[in-house]
Amino acid sequence: MQMTDHFAAFSFVDRITELVPGVRARGVYAVPRDLPAFPSCLVAEAVGQLAAWAAMAHVGFRGRPVAALANETRFHRDVAPGDTLLLGVEIESCDDETVAYAGWAKRGDELVVELADCLGPMLPVEEFDAPAALAERYALLRGAGAEPGRYRGVAAPDVVPGDHVRGESLTATLRVPAAAPFFADHFPRRAVFPATLLLDAQIRLGLQFAGEAADRPAGTVPVPVRMTHVKMRSFIAPGTVLTLGAERANAHAHRIMLSAQANGKSVATARLEYALRKGA
Amino acid sequence: MAQNEITKEEIMAVFPTVAETMADALGCDVDDIKLDVSLIEGLDAESIDFLDMVFRLERAFKIKIPRGKIVENARGTLSEAEFEQKGIVTETGLAQLRAYLSEVPAERFGTPMKVKDIPRLFTPETFCKLVISAQREAA
Repeated sequence: MQMTDHFAAFSFVDRITELVPGVRARGVYAVPRDLPAFPSCLVAEAVGQLAAWAAMAHVGFRGRPVAALANETRFHRDVAPGDTLLLGVEIESCDDETVAYAGWAKRGDELVVELADCLGPMLPVEEFDAPAALAERYALLRGAGAEPGRYRGVAAPDVVPGDHVRGESLTATLRVPAAAPFFADHFPRRAVFPATLLLDAQIRLGLQFAGEAADRPAGTVPVPVRMTHVKMRSFIAPGTVLTLGAERANAHAHRIMLSAQANGKSVATARLEYALRKGA
Repeated sequence: MAQNEITKEEIMAVFPTVAETMADALGCDVDDIKLDVSLIEGLDAESIDFLDMVFRLERAFKIKIPRGKIVENARGTLSEAEFEQKGIVTETGLAQLRAYLSEVPAERFGTPMKVKDIPRLFTPETFCKLVISAQREAA
């Protein structure tokens, strides 16, 4: 692990501007200008990380939340490198076992991403990171703030197309890298493939599936508008080979059921809703 | 209030919402949610699904269900030591568990019964009782 990647390679809160313990938090994150793009899933990650800081501070850094349930995520608009995100979370409940929260990210007055009905189990913090290092980092974020521009991007994971039944289902194989800078930040003592990177890959697969639908009007492209029932069933270790699946949902024209399996066992499920917008 | 005082009428009153909530959490048809089906063995529920179901039930019924509440309710007035020893439910604890989970057929209780296997016994009716208990406590 390179310690320079800690609080840098996968950290998306620059400063916590307001925090009422167990109630709410506000923060900011400046998307580095020199990135090629900044996907909406990482915006959601930023909101989740602010919730995590609020939760950890509330329990005295005994526990840290991990991604488990996100029952409602709404994607309002894209952000661009150079944008500054205003982050907010409302903590519904928080104790040593779970944190439940809702949150949002805005660019100015415009909503970018909204999260609702999110729940994360609180696990012993020392399994993932040094409690003292987290407390020190928290003090920095609550004070002058961290140096912006630390995130350098994430290399696109290796995704190989698999079975395709047009209009019904599409699969792909995602090889989680065995090593990557973000593992030093997520997390230093236990490397876990971030749920939001998995969701980003799943959304891409879902949009590819939607784009190949025979009834898609010419000149339109599918864009994600809502993700529901996100459920992370287990940690994904470096080097894991995942089978991603996108499947048409019955009785809903623009909904796709997303899945991810490792060794035949479900590790994540979600539902994606998309809209067709005029595009290239 | 003692668990056995929950009536069938009370259970049937909350069951439709419980079934709908569970079906949404498990991604199955609401018709698959029978009152007595094993959630783990019959509907492939995993631990995160239990977390999800409790989370959704809290919202659906506007109640608070502390984690581990089912086992706590099942234990009733017994102390932890009276209920289990080294992860195995005691005979006294087993009698209490059978009474609490009266909807579960006797043959589904293990002998010995491991505490970690208790969730294998849970059915939608178990969660109906959980909701009713929480509603009573909030009243």
